[in-house]
Amino acid sequence: MKSKGLFRELARIVGEDGILWRREDLMLYEYDALSSLRQPDVVTFPRTTEHVVQIAKLALRENLPLVARGAGTGLSGGSVATEGGILLVFSRMKQILEIDLENQRARVQPGVVNLDLSLAVADEGYYYAPDPSSQKACTIGGNVAENSGGPHTLAYGVTTNHVLALEVVLPDGEVIHTGARHWDRPGYDLTGVFVGSEGTLGIVTEVTVRLSRKPEAVKTLLAIYDKVVDATRTVAAITARGITPAALEMMDGFCLRAVEEATHAGYPMDCAAVLLIEVEGLKEAVEEHADEIEAVCRDNQAREVRRAKSAEERDLLWKGRKGAFGALGRITPNFYVQDGVIPRTRLPEMLDFIGTVEKKYGLHIGNIFHAGDGNLHPLILYDERNREQTACVVQAAKDIIMRCVEMGGSITGEHGVGLEKSDLMPLIFSEDDLELMSRIKNLFNPLGRLNPGKLLPTGKMCGELRGGLVGGGPV
Amino acid sequence: MTLAVDSVRTELAALVGQSHVLADPAACAALAVDGKVPDCAVSPSTAEQVAAVLRYASEHHLALIPRGKGSKLSTGNPPRRYDVALPLGELNRVIHFEPADLTITVEAGMTFGDFQALAGRNGLWLPLDPRGGAESSLGGIIAANAAGPLRQGFGGPRDMVLGLKIATPEGKIAKTGGRVVKNVAGYDLGKLLTGSFGTLGVIVEASLKLFPKPPERATFTLRAGTLGIARDLRRSIRRSPLEPLRLVLLDSPATALLSDSVQVHERPGAELWIEVGGSHRVIERCAYELRQLASAAGVPLTRLDGAEEAWERVSNLALWLQQKYRDVTVLKAALPEVASEEFVSRAQQEAEAERIALASFAQVGVGIVHLCALQQALSASVLGLVVRLRQAAAELGGTLVIEHCQVDLKSQVDVWGAGGDDLDAMLKIKSAWDPKEVLAPGRFLGGI
Repeated sequence: MKSKGLFRELARIVGEDGILWRREDLMLYEYDALSSLRQPDVVTFPRTTEHVVQIAKLALRENLPLVARGAGTGLSGGSVATEGGILLVFSRMKQILEIDLENQRARVQPGVVNLDLSLAVADEGYYYAPDPSSQKACTIGGNVAENSGGPHTLAYGVTTNHVLALEVVLPDGEVIHTGARHWDRPGYDLTGVFVGSEGTLGIVTEVTVRLSRKPEAVKTLLAIYDKVVDATRTVAAITARGITPAALEMMDGFCLRAVEEATHAGYPMDCAAVLLIEVEGLKEAVEEHADEIEAVCRDNQAREVRRAKSAEERDLLWKGRKGAFGALGRITPNFYVQDGVIPRTRLPEMLDFIGTVEKKYGLHIGNIFHAGDGNLHPLILYDERNREQTACVVQAAKDIIMRCVEMGGSITGEHGVGLEKSDLMPLIFSEDDLELMSRIKNLFNPLGRLNPGKLLPTGKMCGELRGGLVGGGPV
Repeated sequence: MTLAVDSVRTELAALVGQSHVLADPAACAALAVDGKVPDCAVSPSTAEQVAAVLRYASEHHLALIPRGKGSKLSTGNPPRRYDVALPLGELNRVIHFEPADLTITVEAGMTFGDFQALAGRNGLWLPLDPRGGAESSLGGIIAANAAGPLRQGFGGPRDMVLGLKIATPEGKIAKTGGRVVKNVAGYDLGKLLTGSFGTLGVIVEASLKLFPKPPERATFTLRAGTLGIARDLRRSIRRSPLEPLRLVLLDSPATALLSDSVQVHERPGAELWIEVGGSHRVIERCAYELRQLASAAGVPLTRLDGAEEAWERVSNLALWLQQKYRDVTVLKAALPEVASEEFVSRAQQEAEAERIALASFAQVGVGIVHLCALQQALSASVLGLVVRLRQAAAELGGTLVIEHCQVDLKSQVDVWGAGGDDLDAMLKIKSAWDPKEVLAPGRFLGGI
């Protein structure tokens, strides 16, 4: 399927500088943050919706897989071209097309970097709420595909709660517009279906999002614990008080030390866990909530509760948190991160369980996660050269995911199913559930050429984690 | 119904029990939709029974309309076929509730009132004020994605549904989403079902996100007088640090109606109603901010006590106004929020030209405008009004839906308006999921 003729045709669409096909160039696109090695046949950089339409038609004619990719920061292998074909990289479709502050809307191309959108409206007192830890690099299009979350989704919801309308190119080249910039457009909520569909239903070429008003006041607290269980107990105790913090993150001592060594954010080196808690809103509400939260933390044996005294201190604490995966990259050749979700009241027993798994397989597992949502991110450290250890990682990960499922949770809270977990889907969905999803997929993507091998089970390895457990990049 | 009606009833009774099948003509007439009376009503008491009824309907080419309390069934085109009513009120159990997780799973027939009472005992609530209010069912609220003015502060059902269990038109039970607050496993089919008005599946169970109830709430009114001042106030409020829970603009007739005492013909002027929530100190701060805004605009500010009843009326326009006026037409425009006042003004002009008494209730912070045509008007003039206001909404970048009207109007105009370039995809979804058109055929957009 690799032919000079195809490359020429693609070059006519996107220009000579809009394609890559040499082996050494393709190597850069054979993995994302999950790491799975499979090269696309050709990489293209469309600049317009029309480019995408023409490429889709070409792919249809040639019966080639078509895979969309933003910045490649995805953690579930969503942008890996598992069966080769044409990779559409959106790094040149990065224009903010329209900002409408009075309606609190923005219309953007999919390659716009998440943080760039917030920065573009920051001076006016607005921001785009979903804030994945990779927000300095990841794109809005990728966020839409994976329905990404982030620390502040506890109070404000994930990507789907902030996306109102999409322009989508279907695999046959047809362009449709879903949703509207206003609420309640009559008809089925197709926008809601496309968000999180991991590039398997259509290629998103334009996104209309809701912008949020920056709160008047923000307070950031760091609660420091000598025992992990005290930190996890605090989480449910805070919500039981009727307080919804904007963010409620946990880091265990192991991660904390790695983070502190890398970022010098001022985290304590000698504790078992910290909670990073943020409250936002009117200054009166923020003061009251911060005081109450501090009291709850102390009731639950927090050794110390610090408050960020300045915007700089706050930024530093968040820099540490958001750079955590990268910091861990300094101390381990590889790590594998999971994304299971459990009811937040079960956190204490879950963290115990992860400790048991750690011992059982003789592995190191760090925990740094969205505690308020019950969204775990156990980081399993390993060295890919050690085959025996790599096998243990897969088994340990499976044990943890099974426990999440037993607790009534989910296999993924924000990273997506992708290539990694498609064969775990039967753990939480019945055949009938999956069949209903298949009907949607078959309707939009009848030949299965759009991002093949993702989201729905392939049936090849039922109940197994897939994807190469190699690498593990910073996010 | 092509089969002998009696044999259908007998066979349905075998699925749900004799006492759960109603064939009494008066009872069936009460379940009519747009004047179409079903042959019988079947009230399943379990999800499995719902699925069994659907399987039977699918095999025998029967058309069903699922219903909770029926408060939102006036929205929709007349059904092409309607053989069996499917009331779901018996599905009203709590499946799972862990207050500290802020999540709950209940059966879909539970009334919103019962649900809020249960959540409220734990200091929680589902911050919705949907049409139908306490009497409506959760399944109906989700099927209609019914959000009231509280959408300003909290979003709508779409943002609160974590997972759904449905009975499919072919009679299977399937689930989407889950019970936890964050979940991206698989296609988000819950979004497809939310707001699908019962045309894709019957919602039998819902998992929802709950919220802590604000310790106090307070409602203030700003007597703007004119729409122009109301628009400026809306802008100032949206730019202020205030985080309103509800924000509604009442035009002059709406103000008159809501305050009860004044005749509709009098002109009390436009008012902005704003609700805020939080601790006592937070409310005091909001009051201070509002006083600043009011004095800068030179308009009076009043704090209303016991505003809850008035808010309920605003959420339940058709239900409330029907007590006074026989024929009420309720139109709902969805617009970019900045166009709200402009649309209200256009609506006033059009209504005046048609000599129709019109009251406008506009959720100006989210761009949802409800227009109520009050007096019994010639259906030709209401039709003219709908057509011109739909055009006006389109010009302002929005859409207009007839939420409630007399049946004869529905034979002249599509209540939903036209679809866009994604209508074809919607039609395909309907035929992929409900190939035999078992569920509410013809009621939704584009003949779905």
